[in-house]
Amino acid sequence: MAAEEEKEFYLRYYVGHKGKFGHEFLEFEFRPDGKLRYANNSNYKNDTMIRKEVFLTPAVLKECKRIVSESEIMKEDDTKWPEPDRVGRQEIEIVMGDDHISFTTSKIGSLVDVNGSHDPEGLRIFYYLVQDLKCLVFSLISLHFKIKPI
Amino acid sequence: MANIESEAVDFEPEEDDLMDEDAGDVSPRAGHPRLRSAIAGANGDSAQRKTKGRGFLEERDSDRQRRLSSRDFESLGSDGGPGPQRSIEGWIILVTGVHEEAQEDDITNAFGDFGEIKSLHLNLDRRTGFVKGYALVEYEKSEEAQSAITAMDGAELLTKNVNVDWAFSNGPTVNPYRRKSLRSGRSQRSRSPRRRY
Repeated sequence: MAAEEEKEFYLRYYVGHKGKFGHEFLEFEFRPDGKLRYANNSNYKNDTMIRKEVFLTPAVLKECKRIVSESEIMKEDDTKWPEPDRVGRQEIEIVMGDDHISFTTSKIGSLVDVNGSHDPEGLRIFYYLVQDLKCLVFSLISLHFKIKPI
Repeated sequence: MANIESEAVDFEPEEDDLMDEDAGDVSPRAGHPRLRSAIAGANGDSAQRKTKGRGFLEERDSDRQRRLSSRDFESLGSDGGPGPQRSIEGWIILVTGVHEEAQEDDITNAFGDFGEIKSLHLNLDRRTGFVKGYALVEYEKSEEAQSAITAMDGAELLTKNVNVDWAFSNGPTVNPYRRKSLRSGRSQRSRSPRRRY
């Protein structure tokens, strides 16, 4: 486990689109020093940008790492995933030890999109990982700042 | 030389990062992208990393640099020192190694002994619907959270040993990997005495 903890770790996720209400997006990153940054920009009904940051303990980073490694996302490849389009884009960038991935794809509405894609297995891994990560981040942000992140 | 690959992870240097202990590591290589610097290990050479994905092939996305590199991220005040950080309404601890079939009641029963639980997040694995493996528990008082950590870290809960620790920290984590080689003169900082509450 000690070796696992010493591995460099960085994670960033972005989902967004540019449209009638400007550039609307959600993005968060876990930095190697423990800083969690969270940004949510919705211009709908004049909503403003939420930007929060907080330092996490190594215990939280370790749990995040566990979620990522158990997903086995690092073994996937975005070559056959749908490309970002006008409806939106998602990006996931992760550094785990010597591996660095930076995947992009379109927004995924539901599992129907996943199953109809050219790489349903890989995309399904991405789809669930993103949900699990968002869930963790929303919990952390809402507990710490007592805001509803979405 | 900014090659395409490094542009994909470009972040502007930030003022607050000057506070980071690795700041000395960043400035001499100002030509390198921000993230590259931030994540560089002891040998500081992420070119050795195996990269994969379309994100490395794309045009420079100037938006991307602005989004997370902006300086006006709000945080709760902190002295930057070591130790846990208070959240807006209390103190949050993280429980890991939680059994996948745990129920909220199991957590409440085990952790309610140390103080009233103000909030509990027991998140589910979105694919399986079982518990993902962690819980976040909020207490009003630091002492309550501390007793929960002391008593429950390593304890058995539903046949599994759980780990319990603070969730939020006052300052950056010292990377042991980086500490060894890059931090000669400044190791004092990470050895400050623990804060008392």
